[in-house]
Amino acid sequence: MADKVEIKTMTDEGKSKGFKELEKAWQEECLGPSLQARPEGREAFLTDIGLKIERIYTPSDLERINFDCRRDLGFPGQYPFTRGIDPAMYRSNPWVIRAYSGFGEPKLCNERYKKLIEWGADEIVMAVDLPTQVGYDSDHLMARGEVGKVGVAIDTLRDMEILFEGIPLNTLKRVSMLGNSFGPAALALFIALGEKQGLGPGDFVVDLQNDILKEYVARGTYIFPVRPSVRLTADVIGYCARHARHWYPSTLCANHINAAGAGSSKAAAFAMANGVCYIDHLLGKGYRIDEIAPLLSMFLDERADFFVAICHFRAARKVWAKIMKERFKAEDPRSMALKITAYSHGGETLLEPVNNIARITLAALAYVLGGVQFLYNASYDEVLGTPTEEAAKIAVRIQQILASELGIANTVDPLGGSYFIETLTSQIEKQIMDEFEKVEARGGAVSAIEQGYYLSAIMDGANARQRSFDRGERVSVGVNKWRTETQIPFGAFRIDPALEKMQVERLNKVKRERNDKAVKDTLAYLRETAMGEGNLVPPTLEAVRAYATIGEICDVLRGVFGEYQAREYFGRSAG
Amino acid sequence: MMTTRRLRILIGKVGLDGHEVGARVVAKALADAGMEVIYAGLRQTPEMIVRTAIEEGVDLIGISILSGSHMTFFPEILRLLKRYDASDIHFIAGGIIPAEDVQALKAIGVKEIFPPETPTSAIVDFVKALLLYETVNMCPSVAS
Repeated sequence: MADKVEIKTMTDEGKSKGFKELEKAWQEECLGPSLQARPEGREAFLTDIGLKIERIYTPSDLERINFDCRRDLGFPGQYPFTRGIDPAMYRSNPWVIRAYSGFGEPKLCNERYKKLIEWGADEIVMAVDLPTQVGYDSDHLMARGEVGKVGVAIDTLRDMEILFEGIPLNTLKRVSMLGNSFGPAALALFIALGEKQGLGPGDFVVDLQNDILKEYVARGTYIFPVRPSVRLTADVIGYCARHARHWYPSTLCANHINAAGAGSSKAAAFAMANGVCYIDHLLGKGYRIDEIAPLLSMFLDERADFFVAICHFRAARKVWAKIMKERFKAEDPRSMALKITAYSHGGETLLEPVNNIARITLAALAYVLGGVQFLYNASYDEVLGTPTEEAAKIAVRIQQILASELGIANTVDPLGGSYFIETLTSQIEKQIMDEFEKVEARGGAVSAIEQGYYLSAIMDGANARQRSFDRGERVSVGVNKWRTETQIPFGAFRIDPALEKMQVERLNKVKRERNDKAVKDTLAYLRETAMGEGNLVPPTLEAVRAYATIGEICDVLRGVFGEYQAREYFGRSAG
Repeated sequence: MMTTRRLRILIGKVGLDGHEVGARVVAKALADAGMEVIYAGLRQTPEMIVRTAIEEGVDLIGISILSGSHMTFFPEILRLLKRYDASDIHFIAGGIIPAEDVQALKAIGVKEIFPPETPTSAIVDFVKALLLYETVNMCPSVAS
């Protein structure tokens, strides 16, 4: 007869009154004298998002925010998804252990991938080099010196075949690359690789970042102007909505916007506004909200405060659910349930880099407590350059320890109901929603970006963070406090400069051996589609199958759309 | 101040690396310290950087890089400065650069390389010390 039991909430009138008297007495008789004798270390305990952390949270705080456990919390797997998107969370659906990896040329990188899988990584996220990310082949003038740095070089489908040699895509939980500036080509590379391995889209799962808007403000790997780029991102989502509904065609990224300086609440709001822009584009093309929203996920980030990170995820789920339900009138719960990707890092230091293992572990713990779905850890030596094998292994091991030792994943939303967690979640929810509404009031994401609104929020935050570091308010252990070493450690992992030549030779070989007419014909079909309104994935897929290069595909689109010219939003103060 | 001429600085990013917040934060700190800062922005080539530096008559170039391609770009910037007879323009850098490369780059003429976690005041002080010393002692024509 559980449904007949009346639930007494914290706001129960009589209880609360009695408690308030006790609280007042505690403040006067216990706290006051104690603070007289031992004042607090700081005047205010501030967070990176500007919220002040109080000394203690009590039932009075829940009363102040008008907390209602039915409305604000509910149950996991149900609206508003505060406690998580799965009813039993990690007990039945463990988070996916991702490994972001890539360097040099595909053959060398393939060996690392096999090791990551052997260690237990569920998902490979390809890190590709910068020339690939901005649509230049390895023999392009702008690629010189950059081939195989920060990621593996990918020029054609042949490179994908080598990279995943002996790694059937259906043995991974997901396979991923960023593909922000050329989403259709990234998607096509995986579809075509699957075909080479004898797999159809139904046999494996592709996950892309494919979120171009944040590149204009926080990451910089754009190619085309803003509006045609939105079409590229949206075309990939639309294609998957019709042909591969279990894939993850776009991950709305707050991570880079926060890293650049915006603070996690604004970053999440901007990323959601970017997502709304893609959704609006697709609705305009005749898609229905419940057809596309379930395919979206978010890459959230909070690196400055452990508890803010936990509450940030809970709050973001609430806000997203509300936007989907109220703004877009979504009906499918999967449209409202926000799937979250996170990257455990933040605050890693160049000095004494082994300490970063502790920092990464704690960041990962916060994300797990916040209810993450897809998690990857930084390697402790990433601040020095491309991770060494040992560091990459530790990054996987940390996740396995969190997932299977110490009982961390045994219950759903373990901190739910905490006075502190619920108060902070409610405050952050308000911050994200307010900021989202500000962007909407500016006409949405594209207008806000063009007006310089995102960038000015980012730079204000970045300058404030630097000031707080310079003044020593933001402590970095071993760097601006308890510093003993002055010498930056040696021993970064190095990419052999000869790899660039090797990759260019491989590219030339592919060009010699492919069918030139097929390349020409498919690129002409791509140009024709780009000039019209059609979805760009099918023609891109044909070009990729014919071994057209990423550079050739992007050049066709450059010819139609032009290239993005960065506008300068920097104030007069700096020139 | 021993001089009425404001110090002129060019800050930019070479190569395809798009992480520019560090460069912008340093640009602002130098501007706040009274210098004129030109921000060249992303995706610059060594040739573009050196040409802009000469056209704008800057005293110092500051390049931020996180992509690991510094051993390609930095020697090229120094070579071009020499070729265009502009070796009086100083060159400093910041970003993720391994210690062994820092030594090699300083040996060929990069004046200083600031790693992440450097307080901006350290960069401002370094630039002031480098340029004001030179203004007073080596370039009397611009000191007044």
